[in-house]
Amino acid sequence: MDLYLPIAEVSVNAPLLVALGALVGFISGMFGIGGGFLMTPVLVFLGIPPAVAVASMSNHVAASSMSSVISYSRKRSVDFRMGGVLASGGVVGAVVGVELFRWLRLLGQADLVVALSYLIFLGIIGGLMFWESVGAILRRRRNAPPPPRRDRRPPWLYGLPLKLRFPRSRLYISVIPPIALGAFVGVLSAIMGVGGGFILVPAMVYILRMPASVVVGTSLFQIIITTALTGVLQAGRNQTVDILLATLLLVGGVIGAQLGARASSRFRAEELRALLALIVLCVGLRMGLGLFFTPHEAFVLMSGSGG
Amino acid sequence: MIAAPPPVPPSPADSAVVSAALTETNVRVNSDFRGDRIVLYGAVFDPQARPSDVVVIVRGPEQPVRIARKSRVAGLWVNSRPVVFQGAPGFYIAASTRPLDDIARFGVLRRLEAGVDHLAINAPAEQRTESRYGVQDVVVSRLGADYLDWRNAVVRLKTAQHLYDVNEHGVRFVDKGLFRAEIPLPAEAPIGRYDVRILLFQDGQPVAEKTRTLTVEKVGVERGLYLWAHRRPWSYGLAAMAFALAAGWAASSAFRRD
Repeated sequence: MDLYLPIAEVSVNAPLLVALGALVGFISGMFGIGGGFLMTPVLVFLGIPPAVAVASMSNHVAASSMSSVISYSRKRSVDFRMGGVLASGGVVGAVVGVELFRWLRLLGQADLVVALSYLIFLGIIGGLMFWESVGAILRRRRNAPPPPRRDRRPPWLYGLPLKLRFPRSRLYISVIPPIALGAFVGVLSAIMGVGGGFILVPAMVYILRMPASVVVGTSLFQIIITTALTGVLQAGRNQTVDILLATLLLVGGVIGAQLGARASSRFRAEELRALLALIVLCVGLRMGLGLFFTPHEAFVLMSGSGG
Repeated sequence: MIAAPPPVPPSPADSAVVSAALTETNVRVNSDFRGDRIVLYGAVFDPQARPSDVVVIVRGPEQPVRIARKSRVAGLWVNSRPVVFQGAPGFYIAASTRPLDDIARFGVLRRLEAGVDHLAINAPAEQRTESRYGVQDVVVSRLGADYLDWRNAVVRLKTAQHLYDVNEHGVRFVDKGLFRAEIPLPAEAPIGRYDVRILLFQDGQPVAEKTRTLTVEKVGVERGLYLWAHRRPWSYGLAAMAFALAAGWAASSAFRRD
């Protein structure tokens, strides 16, 4: 069943988009990521203008994150205070990122920056996460003891001023690292058209040293705030949010996210991380390696008239 | 030696006339729009029954084209600075009874902008005038000798999107003096007013012309959403986001009861 999208101005297969939304929602609920890094490339591949895909996707990400965050908060695994601090940085980052992206589009270099960001960030994070989680799985198989954790928390995290207590995360740290992290993720999310969970989750585990049980829920909570803002900004400034496209995606997305949040409890954390790492690596390579191959067509039409 | 008599301009009484009508003048784009086929019927009235060719040109609303070229920089394929081409229609199709080059000469086709090769597309921002070989105000393009490559790329990419087309046998005489043309309109066709020009050629010259208009417009829910998104973008964005968050909350509640 085909449906004509009023803003994207293309005709799409509706059941396919619902299924796609469900699949990405499932992954999102399972890993605590927005899933935008998967959805944006697929939508563009299906022929939806990139600007519309990026903008409409933020509505879908907000919806599926909302759906799973409620489940996580019932299990008391959302640190709302940490999420709020992260989001305050994220809001600033998103506004800066949207402007940066407009400027890059004007220069015609948006494609390059997007592809390079995917390659670099997804490549590094996927690679590190995969290495770490495979190591953990192998150690468990051999019944080896976990490696001694030297200096559980980096000292610089304690040297900074403006300390705040985060009871749910059992942390007493400065708010500067979370705000900086949130801002960095906000910029990236606007440029790459993603929620940024794939960066937040490992950063919360390895840099902020938050307990694994609250990481996913907290990441989703911050994603809701950032993507809700991005979605409204995109609609208000660029008129690129297609409500019909977003609806198709989120119908599948909210259900998929519920199933994903349930399924996540059946897997071990390190296996889950290894799987996520593989997905992240594949998408990063797929997006980035295109830069190295000789293109079939030397010319590209740019969307929009540059205004 | 006797000079050939100058050609006699055809008197209005026996000149050929072309007439045409679209079977559909209003294309309504609603949620199940998947493109359309516009059928055009027309007739040639020529008392002398001279051999005639018909060219039908459909031109959509003008849309500037931004195009960039990829080139290799340090092992990476990188976009050049984008070049803006003005005067490019958002949709263009030229259908004819024979290949255009057989119907009329280059100059005639160029003047009528008949055929994608003859569209008046240019990149004014890349042009400047200078004096060359003592001649003042020579228009040169910063794209230099590659200019044609760029222009061809615009046409090629638009053709790949089914937005530009040349159909050398798209107009067919179905009976004496009666012709029919079919214009495929893809779902990606831009919204707006289309000009349909029906040109009658005899002896390589255009002798008669008719113009018809075709409107492609959004109707119903599509139109309402489009207007809302463009006229009140902030309320649209807030409503869309509120709906998304409510849907997420609803799904979560629904699954809780299970």
